[in-house]
Amino acid sequence: MIARVGDVVIGVTREVGGIGVLMLQVLRALLPWPSMDARELWRNLYRMGVKSLPIILATAFFSGAILVVQSGIFVRRFGAEGLLGWATGYSTFREIGPILIALMFSGRVGSNNTAELGTMTITEQIDGLRALAIDPIRYLIVPRVTAMMVMLFALTVFGDFVAILGGALLGQVVVGVDTSVFWHSLFSNLGTWDLVHGLVKSVFFGLVISLTSCYFGISVRGGAVGVGRAVNASVVASAIGIMVTDCLLTLLMK
Amino acid sequence: MIRFSRVSKAFRDPLLVDVDLDIESGAIWGLIGPGAGGKSVLLKIAAGLMRPDAGRVEIAGRDITGDDETALAQTRERIGMLFQNNALFDFMTVLDNVAFPLRRRGVADDEAEARAEKRLRAVGLAGSEHKMPSELSGGMQKRVGLARASVADPEVVIYDEPTAGLDPVTTSKIYDLLREDHEASKPTTIVVSSDVDALLSFAPRVALLEGGVLRYDGDAAAIAESDDAVVRQFVTGSLEGPL
Repeated sequence: MIARVGDVVIGVTREVGGIGVLMLQVLRALLPWPSMDARELWRNLYRMGVKSLPIILATAFFSGAILVVQSGIFVRRFGAEGLLGWATGYSTFREIGPILIALMFSGRVGSNNTAELGTMTITEQIDGLRALAIDPIRYLIVPRVTAMMVMLFALTVFGDFVAILGGALLGQVVVGVDTSVFWHSLFSNLGTWDLVHGLVKSVFFGLVISLTSCYFGISVRGGAVGVGRAVNASVVASAIGIMVTDCLLTLLMK
Repeated sequence: MIRFSRVSKAFRDPLLVDVDLDIESGAIWGLIGPGAGGKSVLLKIAAGLMRPDAGRVEIAGRDITGDDETALAQTRERIGMLFQNNALFDFMTVLDNVAFPLRRRGVADDEAEARAEKRLRAVGLAGSEHKMPSELSGGMQKRVGLARASVADPEVVIYDEPTAGLDPVTTSKIYDLLREDHEASKPTTIVVSSDVDALLSFAPRVALLEGGVLRYDGDAAAIAESDDAVVRQFVTGSLEGPL
């Protein structure tokens, strides 16, 4: 029993340490002046961000809508129609939006990133880059980390907007709260900080997802089975990383 | 000259044990031996992709054993390598794969593409420039790998299993390409292959690694008469013997 717990602790420490070392390598590659392959950056911005837009917007719309439908029962019971916009905006901007979008992003982009880097590792493409005197961290990892942080931020901005739109629409149709009441409640009770709070989180979530997915990708061992294991580990570790980061940031920014 | 002096490497088991080997500039060297004998490890050490646990590796009179990653990258710029699995970048077209080493060395896009197209024509792949590697057959992928390994005119070219999994006709075509490349610019050429007969007819000198130990280092023509029973058995493919 003690040995098993010890193995788990050593395993987790090794993975967290590996992700930490990768972060230092990325930082070193960005200093003294950020430079990266422009083609790789644009390619990743497009496929990670633009191609994720439909699924992120759909998720955001329905999460905003469901939030309003669920709270509609209490809104009616307590006659709190004037608080619906605030409640939806507050929870969406600060928590639901960044968290849900980050988890969707991790599932779609992070897992794909791990699988792609893992396949590159087992087919010697990473060694192929090194053989061409190219630093894989600078060429492959830095553009991916940058693209994921930038695009998760941008997707959260769009996602927040669409979630609120979904809430306002369902608030009118299902709960019966007029959209003008909804918008008034939203704008008069929420400040810029409520929006910024969630957006700051999204940047850190992007960092967590990118480092985790890249680390598990480039440390794959054991062929196709190893790639499968790495994708699984990457998604789980990203989800835990998002939750831990969210908790820490909420405490820091309260 | 590439010189390995008492080079050793181990992971769990020993992969290379005190290997001494001198490869002259401009020579063609074959490296043969049973599976897991340490051939690919020796190639990766020669290419600066792996560090030995002990011993020295010199390329053109310079000891690269203690070099940091930046210095190793400079050494790698003088080396072209074909990997066993080709290691083609699957997110790039064939043309981009071949032009990539040139672009990374600062060659202008137009010139890099022109040189890559010329190289692809030389390996018989004209018309495949805009295909993705996954759209090509195994032999065609191998030829793209050959084109990429040699497009920047490296001083040393390393081929790890250039004919693995290919039919005899394609194998002959690949060796013809290697011969033409060598005649054109005389790079130091190291070839690892499991196809012993084809390699012995291509490389004038060969080395044989077995269990990480260098068992033979000399003329390809004389290898069958080696005093070492392991070497003789491996080359003749006999079932009788120590292997």
